Amino acid sequence: MNKLIVLLLGMTLFCMSIIAQETYLLSGHVFDENKLPLPGATVMLLPEKNGTVTNAQGDFSINNLPKGKYVLEISFVGYKTLRDSVSISKNIVVKYRLQASLLTLQEVVVTDHAAETLKRETSLNIEVVNTEYLKQNSGGSLMQSLNRLPGISTIDIGSGQSKPVIRGLGFNRVVVVENGVKHEGQQWGADHGLEIDQYAAENIEVVKGPASLMYGSDAIGGVIDINQSAIPTDGSLKANLDLMGKSNNNLFGSSLAVYGRKKWFFANARLTYIDYGDYKVPTDSIDIYSYKAALHKNKLRNTAGNEKNLHLQVGLVKKYFTSKFFVSTVNSESGFFANAHGLEPRNVDVELHDKSDRDIQFPYQEVSHLKLINKSLWHKNAVKLETDFGFQRNNRNEWSEYVSHGYMPAIFPDTLPFSAELERAFDKYIYSANVKGSYTLSEKTLFTVGLNSDYQDNRIDGRGFIIPTYRQTSIGGFLYAKQHLSEISLLQAGFRYDYGNLQTQEYNDWFMSPIVNNGDTIWQYLNRAINLNRDFSNTSWSIGYNFNPEQWSLKVNVGKSFRMPIAKELAANGVNYHHFSYEVGNADLSPEISYQLDLGLEYNSMKFAIGTTPFLNYFSNYIYLNPSSEHDRLYGNGNQVFYYNQCEVFRFGAELHAHYQIIKPLQIGIIGEYVYSEQLSGEKKGRTLPFSPPASAILNIKYQKQKIKYFENVYVSIDYKLTAPQNNIVPPEETTAGYQLINLSLGGDVKLKKQSVNISFQIQNLFNTKYFNHTNYYRLINVPDPGRNFILNISIPISIKKIKSNTV
Amino acid sequence: MKQIKLFSLIFLAMVIFTTCNKEEIDKQKPEIDLSMQGTFPLNCDTLYFGESFDFKVLFKDNAELGSTKSYSIDIHHNFDHHSHSTEVENCKSEEKKDPINPFTFIEDYDIPEGLDMYETNIKITLPTTNNSGILDEGDYHFYISLTDKEGWSVQKGLSIKILHRGIN
Repeated sequence: MNKLIVLLLGMTLFCMSIIAQETYLLSGHVFDENKLPLPGATVMLLPEKNGTVTNAQGDFSINNLPKGKYVLEISFVGYKTLRDSVSISKNIVVKYRLQASLLTLQEVVVTDHAAETLKRETSLNIEVVNTEYLKQNSGGSLMQSLNRLPGISTIDIGSGQSKPVIRGLGFNRVVVVENGVKHEGQQWGADHGLEIDQYAAENIEVVKGPASLMYGSDAIGGVIDINQSAIPTDGSLKANLDLMGKSNNNLFGSSLAVYGRKKWFFANARLTYIDYGDYKVPTDSIDIYSYKAALHKNKLRNTAGNEKNLHLQVGLVKKYFTSKFFVSTVNSESGFFANAHGLEPRNVDVELHDKSDRDIQFPYQEVSHLKLINKSLWHKNAVKLETDFGFQRNNRNEWSEYVSHGYMPAIFPDTLPFSAELERAFDKYIYSANVKGSYTLSEKTLFTVGLNSDYQDNRIDGRGFIIPTYRQTSIGGFLYAKQHLSEISLLQAGFRYDYGNLQTQEYNDWFMSPIVNNGDTIWQYLNRAINLNRDFSNTSWSIGYNFNPEQWSLKVNVGKSFRMPIAKELAANGVNYHHFSYEVGNADLSPEISYQLDLGLEYNSMKFAIGTTPFLNYFSNYIYLNPSSEHDRLYGNGNQVFYYNQCEVFRFGAELHAHYQIIKPLQIGIIGEYVYSEQLSGEKKGRTLPFSPPASAILNIKYQKQKIKYFENVYVSIDYKLTAPQNNIVPPEETTAGYQLINLSLGGDVKLKKQSVNISFQIQNLFNTKYFNHTNYYRLINVPDPGRNFILNISIPISIKKIKSNTV
Repeated sequence: MKQIKLFSLIFLAMVIFTTCNKEEIDKQKPEIDLSMQGTFPLNCDTLYFGESFDFKVLFKDNAELGSTKSYSIDIHHNFDHHSHSTEVENCKSEEKKDPINPFTFIEDYDIPEGLDMYETNIKITLPTTNNSGILDEGDYHFYISLTDKEGWSVQKGLSIKILHRGIN
């Protein structure tokens, strides 16, 4: 039957071509390395410049071709342009496979397709997120927008600050990279967020699992790699205005970006302003120890804040060379919940605090982060060279009313170089340089060598002491090779060596404390940190294998990662004002070593996809802050002492995701995650690790349609989130009950004349459920998570100058 | 497919191994019991400079109380009413005032090893003066912190007054 049709069709075509007097049809199919069709690829016949674009199935056809010799050129963003000569003397059908071009991946906005390729070519498990995803899932901060991803959670403080947690590891065990340079702030602190503008993040890759090989120390738990990668089209000058509103904390946010390009020069600028009030929780009082602090109108007192960011970028694009300069400053000011800051439940001037829900009173913090980055890429033939240079300054000040504690004088002396209200300040200067070169030996083999280095200068100020002033130098080099064993299998391996040096500076109290010695009491300025000088070195490695038969994708990766101890772990000696604890560093710590086995298994068809990413992980010497049963008497108010020590840790876990298209516009899905951690040695043998996220799952139903009346790309999505209780805890945590939440999101593009305005709307916590998030920073003092929240995002593109239609 | 099966088997084995091999872990905080007969001080009590008092409180734990330095007492002024007691009852405070020479006391104490219940038995003597002269009287905060062997801790904050006997 089929043959008959083909025959008939062929005959018809044959006849038609005869009638048409010697013109022929060229049709073909374009697919990628994984044999998946490539829709949207440009197909061009030279020298006629007769062209078309492949359809959703990756097919194309060009009609009415006179007999002759042609050059066929197929191009697609993120792929190497393919040229082939075809001679046409009859109707012919061709098939072409395009190869992902590693050389240009970073200049293009990574489309879903390229993301898919990246996933299939990386042996670690990664997630790729674009602006669209961020808009549809926007939370109070960049990290909150990402925590729907399997394996990703956050440590939140207030409504606008959060830190990333990947598979239960956070703080200095997760590296955040922005535009090629590692973001450096005070990662160890749970009381402030990541200083990154969520509007400026265009493309985010999340590496779940140890990635020390490419990203160096600290990437032991994973990486969040953020890029502003888009280069505007030639001749364009455009702007985009984003507006955001949130009901829970009365947030108003706006971000305006202007970007343009003329030939090889391009520039863009972005201005972001966000202002929010105290956030609402579904409770009228907070139980701090046994003291009930009453809340005014369900608002968590003094959690208002604001953010003001500016980004500038200029760059040049040449045939073999791209260079971009980024300048950005991210500034935020945010209040701390006034009843619980310091060393004990606090009385607050309720009248002053509750007068306005938008003002920021004591205690609060100011954070500013300045960044200068140059990112350049040079490539020619088989060689690619990349350099990233960065300067950052992270400045953080915590302000609170002076309350003497320990043996601090009752009245603050006016002879000190810092103000009475400055509780703590950190001023960190970071200089980074990365060089990376890769050489494509053949279509099958790629070699990469690289060098990462940075120098950090961290100064401290203020009346409270926790970590000393320090200087840190680190340098690491790696070698990495990637070998295609066949069209569908890939082997990669790498090796790295790192050296680091950390020097802390001596610190003495500015007030005297009584030391009892043989019955005599002597008053002296206590020494809290010594001049410590430590060197560290380490090797790490990774081997991975990818196997991608048809619709399957299998990956296996084994690696050794490491992390250098940070200044806080080596030399902390003071009160943590948020955890009511006294923390003591350990100068003898060795670098943390982790071995991990990662697996990934995925099946993808048009209608159905399922994937799971299990892992096994062993730390031979995890750095753990152990709550002892001792108390301190020389600082604070007799706080419990926490000591840093090292222990063996075993962890395993997995993420799962699946979706199924029931009928064309309707899809159901599930995302789940689970992590188990156990300390195998040390004082807390048999116990878990702090901030362990409980198992959770999201059941999702999504309706998507290309067009409904005036709306395009319409979607409606309902998330039903189930979180298990967390009963696996270590002091000072509390067990947290399980909870269920419903989040709703809908949106699409509205055509207004020639403009297409994007609208996305969300209702988070639809039923205003009172629940506790185990990894929320305020969990310890029984502050529930935010109540119902309506979120509206509007994105308005503004065309200042028309794009010149470039006839190819 | 063989590889997949093998890995999932290893994985399953590890999961079963770690989840079955469990001993009971102490997840309970100790308790500072202020309800015992003769407990002192209680919220709103008054202490006097130049005198001694017996600190009498009952400590309890489901497993074992900590030993070395396992409880601490901190007394600091609350003239600005910055501290709040952890007790339900509110005490009548004096007018807010600026400290001149307030009294500060921070001390940690041992509990004999191996106990799950302990009645404190210490005498604390308050001075009347320090190097800077006579100590300020008024509202003070009496803060007790207790740990168990596991590292769980509990705190109680009491609002008290410390006065000079005979002046008032």
